[in-house]
Amino acid sequence: MATEKTDVVIVGVGAAGGILAAELGKAGMKVIGLERGTRLTTADFSALDELRYFQRQDLRPNAKRQPVTWRPNASVRANPLAILNYGNQAGGGTVHYGAISWRFHEDDFRARSQTMERYGARAIPEDSSLVDWPVTYADLEPFYDRAEYELGVSGKAGNLQGRKIDGGNMFEAPRRREYPLPPLLADQSGVLFEAGARKLGYHPFSSPRAILSHPYQGRPGCSYCGFCQAFGCHIGAKSSILVTKLPEADATGNFKLVTGAMCYRVNSDNSGRATGVSYYGPDGSDNTIEAELVILAPFIYDNTRLLLLSKAEKFPNGLANSSGQVGKHLMTHIGARVFAAFDDRFVNIYMGPNAQKHSLDDFNADNFDHGGLAFIRGAQISVTPADLEAGPIGAAIGMNPPPGIPRWGAAYRDFLAKYFARHAAIIAQTENLPYADQTIDLDPDMRDQWGLPAPRLTYDWRRPNEVARVEFMLRKLEELGRAMGATKVWRAPLGPGAPGSHHEGGTRMGSDPKTSVVNRYGQSWDVPNLFMIGSSTFPSMSGFNPTLTIQALAYMSADAIVKRYKSNPGPLI
Amino acid sequence: MTKREATRRAFLVRAAVGAGAVAGAGLVPDVHAQNREPRKEAAAPVPAQPHTNGVEHGAFLNYDDAATIVAFTERLMPGAPDKPGARDAGVVRYIDLALAGAYADLQDFYRRGLAQLDAFCRKTYREPFSQLDAARQDAVITALEEGTAIGFTWPTAQEFFNTIRTHTMEGMFADPIYGGNKEFAGWRLVGFPGAQAIFTPTDMQSRQAFTRASMIGLQAQGPTRKA
Repeated sequence: MATEKTDVVIVGVGAAGGILAAELGKAGMKVIGLERGTRLTTADFSALDELRYFQRQDLRPNAKRQPVTWRPNASVRANPLAILNYGNQAGGGTVHYGAISWRFHEDDFRARSQTMERYGARAIPEDSSLVDWPVTYADLEPFYDRAEYELGVSGKAGNLQGRKIDGGNMFEAPRRREYPLPPLLADQSGVLFEAGARKLGYHPFSSPRAILSHPYQGRPGCSYCGFCQAFGCHIGAKSSILVTKLPEADATGNFKLVTGAMCYRVNSDNSGRATGVSYYGPDGSDNTIEAELVILAPFIYDNTRLLLLSKAEKFPNGLANSSGQVGKHLMTHIGARVFAAFDDRFVNIYMGPNAQKHSLDDFNADNFDHGGLAFIRGAQISVTPADLEAGPIGAAIGMNPPPGIPRWGAAYRDFLAKYFARHAAIIAQTENLPYADQTIDLDPDMRDQWGLPAPRLTYDWRRPNEVARVEFMLRKLEELGRAMGATKVWRAPLGPGAPGSHHEGGTRMGSDPKTSVVNRYGQSWDVPNLFMIGSSTFPSMSGFNPTLTIQALAYMSADAIVKRYKSNPGPLI
Repeated sequence: MTKREATRRAFLVRAAVGAGAVAGAGLVPDVHAQNREPRKEAAAPVPAQPHTNGVEHGAFLNYDDAATIVAFTERLMPGAPDKPGARDAGVVRYIDLALAGAYADLQDFYRRGLAQLDAFCRKTYREPFSQLDAARQDAVITALEEGTAIGFTWPTAQEFFNTIRTHTMEGMFADPIYGGNKEFAGWRLVGFPGAQAIFTPTDMQSRQAFTRASMIGLQAQGPTRKA
């Protein structure tokens, strides 16, 4: 049992926590970061090993020791998810992620208003809790810019201060300047996707990625090995927090990282202030940190779980939960997928960074007219390997064969032998709407290795709006596959409604303390010295991957803490 | 925290750590045989245990279970001339080592699944799976895949099929250091060049199969590169 005192304690040192650690440390604040996993280095990632990192999820939480359970609705018992798509070490998910780094569209921050203005209020499903963000794109633009330049993102501008540029994403919101690094090379799946999309009149481009296309800040450019999403980068070309912000935080002399530390409670006093946190050490010890400022930046489940575990006399429904909104509005991306197989050529999709490689944005957000369609909002479309990972295990597990070919036997063997190096997948990552009854809470029947109740997800994406969107997108994907010249194009099964990747919600931000958990800075309305930074605060999710927006929000909050909160602790709004 | 809670938590931590035991990669006597041209000293590995069926196993599976796994996985990924299958790749060796190590928590799953499979085959055809002809083996596998095989409780027939299928693919395509994908059999089947640390712009522009460099596995990698 140890007690330490510090200015700031940050729970979870990943995409957001790493940025806050560096920025607050630079401002002279003493920071302790708690990380339940370990701290790895680039040298730890020399094994280009699909079994270990992709199939056995070596950089993710162990689903048996750290279970997260899921049930489609509140009337059935929850079962543990087999795979957990988030990080479990210093650097968090940025260690293994595909590094796709989007800025959200202007209308992603005001999806409710945009929909009402263009289609009328009735277009929004009655049971959806879709709301505008309390922050606009213009507010975040300077922080997107900082994130891209400080971390190192490769891409091509498609909207430079309002000037549209073909070859970049012409649907993106205006940016003040080009990306710091030119786009990554397209592999053959990107070349095919580019040609097919152009043929159909769409606007394809190389996906912006936090992967260096050239040497930058002392790190080397990408070697295109393909062991990328699901893997740590063996040369440090992926701009993970591990090789960007953690060294910066170390250099401040004000940052201490505690690994193997599982935070289980945010402590508070009767005045309504957070006083610090308690955590279990790797040896099972029970420790306390007393801090002036508590920042929660773990994956979204643990924000909700920590608040619900931190009940106190003054906070009977969980800390920071006077609104009753904690745990609500869970959102996840669903990847609607088709496969495309080519008889006349190889694709060799295992070359180059392996997540969403080449993209188009024509059917995302409100970039297209939804008039006459049975859904609102869209999806971001990309070409990718079978399971967003390009090795043969991923293809064998993640790519169902086309109709008429069984999943095993000589015909299956011949299918895989012929098409493994001649396949591509096309994926639509859908913006699923928030619904208040999609929730995270504490599972009464399941505990983790620390004896804490497992986070329980109640979620089924198969709402009428979402089902209609997926069907629309699958037809677009099939059309793209054919335009790419594929001999065969077929669909992946849609599954049982389970949550996909990139989870958002649970501690949503807003303008009104009655209907939201935190303000635009991630500051709790109820407990002003408690912040939550990450996608748990997203009021809606966008079709885009969340990480760069998480990072921009982290920069914005760090800026507000350093410039305003530090000298005058209290509500920022 | 009460004392009882502390004890319970300590137990859970210990149990969880135990469940995460490390894979028995060190048990593999012929890890060096993974390169295309096997090294001389690995040409005649001394088996860890004497075998009478020519099947490499022994870390977990008994003789009969290994024979069943060999036959079952070979029907899932059958070998043919120039098309290496599960037997060629040593899938049973992969599964055997995995069950003794990384997948030790699936030992009961396999024991019970194999026992249920054996009972189903004996009841339906009066013979164990490995003794059936290929057509009957395929009929049994289909019954598992479709969930129509009788007598399965836990694991269910479909759970057992899906797990063996997944492990067969792992044994075909995982790096040879894990005991399968012998001499890159799986990678040769599908044309995957393995752990290439770099692809050049020319590689990226090619419409042809990749042939610039030979296949490479983890054992062939040098010391850690500096970032």
